[in-house]
Amino acid sequence: MGYRKIRGVTPPGQYFLQGDEACAEGAVAAGCRFFAGYPITPASEVMEHIVRRFKDCDGVFVQMEDEIGSIAAMIGASWAGAKPMTSTSGPGLSLMMENIGYAAMTETPLVIVDIQRAGPSTGQATRPGSGDMLQVKYGSHGDYEIIALSPWSVQEIYDMTIRAFNLAERFRVPVFVLSDEGVGHLRENVTVEQEVTVFERDKAPGQPPFHTDEPGGVPPMPCFGDGEKLLVTGSTHDPFGYRKTQVSEVHERLVSRLVGKIRNRADEIVDTDSYFLDDGPDVLLVAYGITARAALSAAKVLRDEGQKVGLLRLRTIWPFPERVVVESAQKCKEVVVPELNQGQICREIERLLDRDVISLPQTNGETMKPTKIIEFVRERAVTQP
Amino acid sequence: MIKQVRICGFGGQGIVLAGVILGHAGILDGKYAAQSSSYGAEARGSACKSEVVISDGWIDYPHVLKADILIAMSQPAYNKYCCDVVPEHGVIFHDEELVTPNPQIALSHFPVPATQRALQIFDNRLVANTVLLAAVVSVTGIVTPDSLKLALDKTLDGRHLEANKKAVDVGFQLGSIVKKH
Repeated sequence: MGYRKIRGVTPPGQYFLQGDEACAEGAVAAGCRFFAGYPITPASEVMEHIVRRFKDCDGVFVQMEDEIGSIAAMIGASWAGAKPMTSTSGPGLSLMMENIGYAAMTETPLVIVDIQRAGPSTGQATRPGSGDMLQVKYGSHGDYEIIALSPWSVQEIYDMTIRAFNLAERFRVPVFVLSDEGVGHLRENVTVEQEVTVFERDKAPGQPPFHTDEPGGVPPMPCFGDGEKLLVTGSTHDPFGYRKTQVSEVHERLVSRLVGKIRNRADEIVDTDSYFLDDGPDVLLVAYGITARAALSAAKVLRDEGQKVGLLRLRTIWPFPERVVVESAQKCKEVVVPELNQGQICREIERLLDRDVISLPQTNGETMKPTKIIEFVRERAVTQP
Repeated sequence: MIKQVRICGFGGQGIVLAGVILGHAGILDGKYAAQSSSYGAEARGSACKSEVVISDGWIDYPHVLKADILIAMSQPAYNKYCCDVVPEHGVIFHDEELVTPNPQIALSHFPVPATQRALQIFDNRLVANTVLLAAVVSVTGIVTPDSLKLALDKTLDGRHLEANKKAVDVGFQLGSIVKKH
């Protein structure tokens, strides 16, 4: 139990993979052997590749009747001891929302891959978007926390999918690989290492599965089939899973722990990357996913022109990298957030910094071009020297 | 050094596959490669494009902004993308039979009889993409010929591999003729 190194199932070396395929490879490397899903553009290639790979490693693949069935099957598989995954896009994610709350309440480790496309509704099925940034965190009812990771390259979707499984098991929580069509359908170099670090579940027989003495702690998770008496319910429950829907202290304690186990350990989870922040840039770009690559490209061009521009890239979206964002923005005159939505993460940053943050939204179903960011920053430099 | 390549034509001509093979050849040469393509209905019949960026180092922005090399296999695709080529040193390769160049475009054009040779030698127009791609590789040296062949091995299954390997040789030959002119 805990973190350990294992030999990967994919021969080490250089590969040329599509983002969706690399995601599936990462899942298999992390020990995923259960996949329930329903095809949807632009995420279908994840399940197609999982099917190919499961043939070699005895995995269980089920094409479900819809996304509601998919996530329900994953929850069952997780309680039977498997590391489960599904892949979907916006419309499928919307269907999953009720059971995402159930997974949060029952502290069920899951990995949900969301290859975002341009919404709302069925929107533009084949085109990129980042419209689900808030939905993954707030889509189900009640107070809970999830983890969401945002890769910007094919290598990173491979690495982050492995990490997603580790975080799901470590914190007993749904973890989202919150990618986009831009990365999902991109083909790039992927380096596969011989060894993979994985987190193995602490089963702790006889221990209460829904309580630890540590405030905001993560309890051990037994599984069905090991001879334990288990009760799993989405209703308010005590340390052993008995329904306690009329006891206010039990509910208070449970919900506080579900939220606290992530919020109190944000520093262990949060991961960011920065470029050109050392000289205290005038303009700070904050970006994530495929858009961060346009932002890096733009920052380099603008710096060559003599403008002090830096980039903070969010590799973790939830829990939000609050401390790093506040520190990075401290000495900057302007904070600009380019993103493929109408300002979802910009608003989160504005809330944190308590000052004006400039949104650079794009919802036309295209990846953002570096020129859009370059021209925007140039123009502001002229009008607000 | 960074090179941006755009391949375009009709869906079904193997435009996407040509991009995948070229990108794969790039990484076999020890470089970074990023390949993306238009996706959906347009990849299955109407205008279709595939983009490949090959670089000695990490690629910041993985899509083509202005092509160093444009490879066109249909007239509508040529018309759409011929202006999106780097004016200083950009080159255009096109299927001789399927594309008539616009005389107002002052760039080097290389006509390659890819579809004609594919039909003549293989009685199969499906390998025209490989013939054209091999000609481009032969003229520009964007990837090594060995890596291109190895990329075919790694990308195609047995059914199509042999014909495509022969198509590569035909393309290399056409390329060496084009180079002389």
